[in-house]
Parts: sequence; C-alpha cells; structure tokens
Amino acid sequence: MFELAALSAIPEATSDRAEELFQQHQRQIFRQTDQLFARLMLFQWVACIIIALLVSPRTWDGGASQIHIHVWSAILIGGAISLFPVWMTRVWPGTVATRHVIAVAQMLMSALLIALTGGRIETHFHVFGSLVILSFYRDWRVLIPATVVVALDHFLRGIYLPYSVYGVLSASPWRSIEHAGWVVFEDIFLIISCFRSIREMRFIANRTAALESSDQRSRQLFDDAPIGMAVVALDNQKFKQINGRFAEMVGYSEQELVGRTPLEITHPDDLAESERLVQAMLRGTERCCVEKRYLRKDGGILWATRTACIIRDKDGNPRDFLIMVEDITERKRAEAALRDAKVEADRANHAKSEFLSRMSHELRTPLNAILGFGQLLERQNPTAQQRARVDHIMSAGRHLLNLINEVLDISRIEAGHLQLSVEPVAVTEVLEEALDLMRPLAADRAMQLHVDAQMEEDLYVLTDRQRLKQVLLNLLTNGVKYTAIGGRVAVSVQRSGPTTTRIVVNDNGPGIAPEKLARLFTPFDRLDVEQSGVEGTGLGLALCQRLIHAMAGDIGVKSTVGKGSAFWIELPAVGSPLKALPRNRMRATDDPSTAGAGKILYIEDNLSNLTLVEQMLAEQPGIELLTAMRGGLGLDMARQHSPDLILLDLHLPDLRGHEVLARLRQEKGTRDIPVIVISADATAGQIKRLLAAGARSYLTKPLDIGEFFRVIDETLRSRQPEAAVA
Amino acid sequence: MIFSRNNVFITALLGAAWMAALAFGARVLFKYETTPGRTGVISARWPSVSIIPRPTDKPTLVMLAHPHCPCTRASVGELAQIMARAVGKVNAYVLFVKPPGAGPDWDDTDLRRSAAEIPGVTVLTDENGTEAGRFGAETSGHTLVFDRNGALVFGGGITASRGHAGANTGESAVLAALKQEPMLRNRTPVFGCSLTNRSSTEEGKLCSN
Repeated sequence: MFELAALSAIPEATSDRAEELFQQHQRQIFRQTDQLFARLMLFQWVACIIIALLVSPRTWDGGASQIHIHVWSAILIGGAISLFPVWMTRVWPGTVATRHVIAVAQMLMSALLIALTGGRIETHFHVFGSLVILSFYRDWRVLIPATVVVALDHFLRGIYLPYSVYGVLSASPWRSIEHAGWVVFEDIFLIISCFRSIREMRFIANRTAALESSDQRSRQLFDDAPIGMAVVALDNQKFKQINGRFAEMVGYSEQELVGRTPLEITHPDDLAESERLVQAMLRGTERCCVEKRYLRKDGGILWATRTACIIRDKDGNPRDFLIMVEDITERKRAEAALRDAKVEADRANHAKSEFLSRMSHELRTPLNAILGFGQLLERQNPTAQQRARVDHIMSAGRHLLNLINEVLDISRIEAGHLQLSVEPVAVTEVLEEALDLMRPLAADRAMQLHVDAQMEEDLYVLTDRQRLKQVLLNLLTNGVKYTAIGGRVAVSVQRSGPTTTRIVVNDNGPGIAPEKLARLFTPFDRLDVEQSGVEGTGLGLALCQRLIHAMAGDIGVKSTVGKGSAFWIELPAVGSPLKALPRNRMRATDDPSTAGAGKILYIEDNLSNLTLVEQMLAEQPGIELLTAMRGGLGLDMARQHSPDLILLDLHLPDLRGHEVLARLRQEKGTRDIPVIVISADATAGQIKRLLAAGARSYLTKPLDIGEFFRVIDETLRSRQPEAAVA
Repeated sequence: MIFSRNNVFITALLGAAWMAALAFGARVLFKYETTPGRTGVISARWPSVSIIPRPTDKPTLVMLAHPHCPCTRASVGELAQIMARAVGKVNAYVLFVKPPGAGPDWDDTDLRRSAAEIPGVTVLTDENGTEAGRFGAETSGHTLVFDRNGALVFGGGITASRGHAGANTGESAVLAALKQEPMLRNRTPVFGCSLTNRSSTEEGKLCSN
C-alpha cells in the first residue's frame, strides 16, 4: 500500500525535484527498454531465418530445387522489420517515435513468424508475449499502435486469408472481433499495470526527493552543529566525515583526518580507556560517554566530553559510530584551579588552626595566672578599693577569656571540628541552670527574670547540653545587658511543631532596627553599639547561630524598635529518656564532710600556675601537695611517693606531657595513679587524645576553681576504700 | 540525441522506405501463399494402365506427393485428419514421386515417414513419376478420390493455401465423397511443389508457382 496521502504533504521544492527524478527514471526505462528491443529484434530476425531454414529450406521442381521463398522472406522481410527500429534505438533512443516504431515492428515480426510457420496457432502466442514486453516501457500509449497492427493484420487476413489466422476458409466477422477482443483484454491489464508502475515510480521519486531533502538537512545540521561531530566507520574505525567544529577543535582539516582513526589523535594516557569503550560498543553497547583528551595538531591538549552512539542502516545493522565532542578544556582548567585553591585553602585553614591552637595556649597560660590570682584575691577579704581593682582585673580577664573561647569555637565549627555530644536534654533543667547563673547579673541591674509558668516539665530536645546552655546564657546575657536597668527578660518554652521545640527569650529593651537584623549574626559586627558602653565581643550571636545549626536547629529574632526583641531557638523535640530508666537510679551528690584527702603531685613548669594551685590546695585540709617543674623529675617523684593523684601540664621543658603520661601508664608502680591533665590547649582533638591515652580528666586553663575542686574531690574519693565512701 | 533537421529528414525518409519495403514484402508473401500449382489433365476414371491395385469394396484415395516439398507437410497432416474420420471406408495411397536419376534413398524423407505412419495409408514410390502422369497430377499434394467403380469423384488439394494446415474445402469434399454425401465442390486448387522437372518459365513451376 503506498502512502499516497503522505505525499501530498511534500513541499513544493521537493515536489519539483520529485518530478525531475520521475522523468529521469522514466527516460532511463525508455532507453533501457529500447536497448532490450534492439537486441530482441536482432534475435527474432536470426530466429526467423533459422525457422525458415529448418521448416522450408528449399522448394522443389521434380528433382531440381532452389532456396525456398520463406528463407528469402525471413532474411529480407525479417531484416527490413528489424533493422529500422534497431537504427532508431541508436539514433533516437528513448523517444516516443522509437517506441512506436518498435511496437509496430514487433507486431509485424509476429505476423511474419505466423506466416513462416504456416499459421501455427502456437505462433500466435508471440503476439501476446510481444504486448507484454512492450508494457516494459510503462507507457500505455505504446500498446495502441501494436494493437492496431494486430487488428489490421487479423482483419485483412480474415478477409483475404481467413485460414491463415482462423484455420477456416470463411470466417465470420465476429471471429475478427473475438480475436481483437482477446488482444484488447490483455491490453486492459497491461494498461492497468502501466498505470500502477507509473504510480510506483512517482512514489519512489517522491520518497527519493524527500530523502534527498532530509539528507541535505541532516548534512547541514551536521556541518553547522555547535559541537564537534564525526562519523567513524565501524569496520576499520576510521574517520569518514567530520564537521567544521570538530576540525576547529583538533586543528586538523577533514582531508587530514579522513582515513585516520580517533585513537591516533587520542592522548596516550586515555588510549586504554578509549579502546575499551570502542570494544564495548562493538559488543553491543548503544551509547557511551567519556571525558578524554585529544591531541591537537599544534601539540596542545583538548579536553572533551565524547559521546558515541551507533548508526544503523535501514535493516538495523550497525554501520558507523557517530561521535559528538564537546570542548571542556576551560572547565577542566577551572576544576584544576579549584583543586589547587582547595589545597591552598586547606593549608591555610590548617595554618589557622595551628595558629589558634598556639594562640589559645599562649593567651590562656598568662590568663590562668591573672584570673587564678584574681580569684584568690577575692577570697582574701580585700578592701573596697582592692575589690574594685580586683573586679577590673577579673572583668578584663573574663572578657579576654570569652573572646578566646568564642573565636576558638567559631574556628572549630567552620573547620568542621566541633565535637558535640548530642543527646536528649531536659530543656527546663538547662534553662534553670542558665537562669541561676544569670540571676546575680540581673539582680545587679534590678531586672526581672521571668519564666513561663505553664512550661511543661518533660520537654526534651536533642542537643548538646553544654552547648545549649552556652547559647541560652548568651541570649540571656544579651537580654540583660542591652535592656535598660529595671527592665524585664522573660523566657518561654513551647512546642512549635510535631517535631520541634522552641525556646524564646523576650526582652523589653530598645529593639533592633529592621535594616540591622541581617547583620545580627555576622562575627564582630556589634550593630554600632560599641559606643553604648556595653561590653561585648561581637561573636556571641554568630557563635550561637553556628552552634544551633550544628545541632540541626534554627535560630532567629523578631524585634520592634522601642518595644524589645524576641530571640528564639528551635531544636528537634524528643521524648523523655527518664521514662525508660529505673526510677531509683539517683545521681551521686557532693558531700563536703567526705571531701577527698591524699597526696597530690603537680608537674608544671610555669611558676605562676604552680603557685596558684599550691595556694588553692592550701585551703583544703588533708591534701599534701608535691611539685615538680620538669617531666623527668615528676616521673621520679611519682615512683618514689606513689601519690593518690597527679596533676600534669603538657608543655614541660624536658619531656612533653604526652610522654610523661605514657610512661606513667607503662610502669607498674604508677599505672593506677589517676592523672588529671591541666592544659591551656582546649582543642577537642587534644582532649580526646589525652583521655584516650589514659588521663582521667582534662581541665583547661584558666582554671575554674569550683570545677577544679570538684574533679579533685571526685578523684580522691574514688581512690579511698569503699568502706569509707559508704 | 540531436534533433537536427537532417536527422529528422533521414528518419522520415527511412521510415517511409521501411513501410514501403514491408508492404512490398507482404504483397510478395501474400501472392506466394495464395497462388496454386498446376493441376494438369485429370483422368475421369481410374487409369487402366496403373499398376496400383484398386479394391472394389470401397472407394480409393490417391495422393501424389513430392518427398521434399515443405508445403506438402500440411497436406499429409490433412490426410491424417481425413483417415481418422473415415476409418475403414477408403483404400488410401500416397505415391512419392521419384524423378529420373534420383538416388535410392532420395525419397526417404520425414514426410514419407509421416505419411507411412497414418493408419490405413499405403506409401508407394512412383519411379520417374509414371503413375503421376497416368493420373494427370502435376503438383505435390494433389489428391484424387475414386468410387468403387473407378470413377473420379474428387480431384484437388486438401489445404487452403500454401503450407497452411486447417479445415478447408478440399478436406470437406473428400470426407463427403467417402461418406457418399453431397459435395460443395469436387475440384480445388492444389498448393505444393511441382512433381516433375519442367523447364517452363511460367509462373508456378516451383513451390511458389
């Protein structure tokens, strides 16, 4: 079934080309059929002569004979019939006149053959065969002269020699009509066949024209594509065709590449992978994509994304590869630059961490002396003037300590080194602790600290307890600091969603202008309150934001100038873990009456720190303090005195603290002595390493005296016999 | 292909010549096919000097033939048709004329063998055309039918034209004579080669006569 309907949609330009192709095809058929008949005519002529020689070679007169007239007829009449049309096919090939002369001649040849064979009925089939061969022209008009000749021949013979065509002496006129009717009968089907052939030829011409047009468009798309494209033969893997963009990319012309293989211009390091992909495609992989390097003609390297797919022929058999190449050299350069930058950034970050660690240590060490002695002075009943001076020392020291701690925390968070101990934490407990710490400050400023009376007791959030407390203290401190004396700070806790809990710190302070809110969490940006006299580092909220985000929470603020601000934090809510614990499990509490007592060895090279601890412990009865300012000496004293506890500094002049600890743990006599590390290095990694090496606790300088005594007491108690504890 | 005036003129000229030649050839062929041979003076009764036996129980058919005449093939074919339709009703002879000086195998041809294969037909050699002369036949294919009394009831050819087989007046007349039925014609033209060598130049001396 021909898709004739579809042909109507062919554009006019294509239609003109289709007509041209059709006529070209038709001329070719006319010429080919002319040649066929030229050969057939000559063959029939020879056949006529042979038949005449076989059937009636000679005619006789008694004993004498001569060549039969049939032989002469075959030679002369047969020649006359054949030669003229043959000449026409040479002089006028493919013309209408030639076709029609051939049609007439072919029918006359039938008549001659019938005459030479004595009117044999079998010879009449030559007429029908000739008509069929004439239809090879696919021109129904050719059948007209042929049919006319046959009809005339039969008509005239029917009149003058009826027996030669009908086998009877007198034939009815209807006999001629019947004979002509059979010829016309055949003509009808031959004409139908001709029309069908013409339709087929037009269909083929239209298809060919459409394909030519399609090929032309494809070729144009191929040539003008903004990416490099190439066709590679499947059998020998050589370039067959490349487009301009590909030539531009690799620097070779099409003439230079056709006949070469893509592997010849592939970077040596990518050859194996390219070869592997080619083999994979030969085994049936339809499409593959790879990043590879081509060697440009100028010696440069082209980084490219190469996509290859199979081109199939009309029967679906693989024929060629189509290669599409995209230049990614610039991207690769950018990636390399990015990698270098990252390495440089990592190196800088490492240097920064090293700097912060050193800074932390170097600043904490003198601060330890400042704050430690300051605290001792506070305990020695100073005069009002002395107390004021000590307060200044302590305030400045604490400010500096906070600044160091916060810088260190931000640095850890940004480096991804912050150690968090995320666990279910009771919000009310942490909040109470924070409020307890804040009440003295609030009282100093005659401020009220309010807590939501309807706060649920068993609200738990998933967080790091100390960090949450740090954040709450920061928010509460800000509320108290920035609200006018006599103001109000209120805290509320509520479920903000099915999986979150929100803690809100409200104050009735001056509020924050909307245009400043965006800068609120920027480090060291104090929103222009430096002149207000309120102390601050500008790091508190920045650190809060980073801590809350690190704990999978969120932080924000709503503020109205003149009315106050509401800072909120939101954390993942969890159920109470206490519900799953035995109810009689209680936490041990400190008991001053059973305070620890024993022998303590303090290994420390810094005289200020040594003196500080000596004075602190001098207040504790039952504690004997031994000191050593070098690591080696400390080890000897530990072996000699077997103290109940060793306080160990890490930066010693002869041995590093890690080594002292390691030796203590190795030796049998000192293995069980608990060691508390006191160091200014507050980095999480350092603490973790020392605890893992066998330290019982890790206290950071400057020392918190309360924490110091608590740890000392706990350790000494744990060394006392169980009966005494009980 | 050059459509020059000369080419067109030459083609037209050749075309006209071609048609004229074909018309002339057709006329020659037509004339040849439709021109009968000479019949000679046919005896009205069975020649008494004939050496061929003539039984009196049924009619006798005699065909005089040239053993090499291609046109006589059609006559022998027609005789076979007649014999098939008149089985046992006729004594049939085919006399193949052998001219003087001819070799012993001169008349041993496929035509003679074809005639010999027809049931009821006796094939004889007519040395020097003696019997042909007695019967007065001069053209190959000439057929004579005599009744039981020796009277000639039909004489002529049994093909419609030269070398053309098929139903014809002569064949119908022979069958009617054998069945003793009325005949439309008892004389028909004979188409074939001359039985005897004549130096005559008149038309029809050979097969084309």
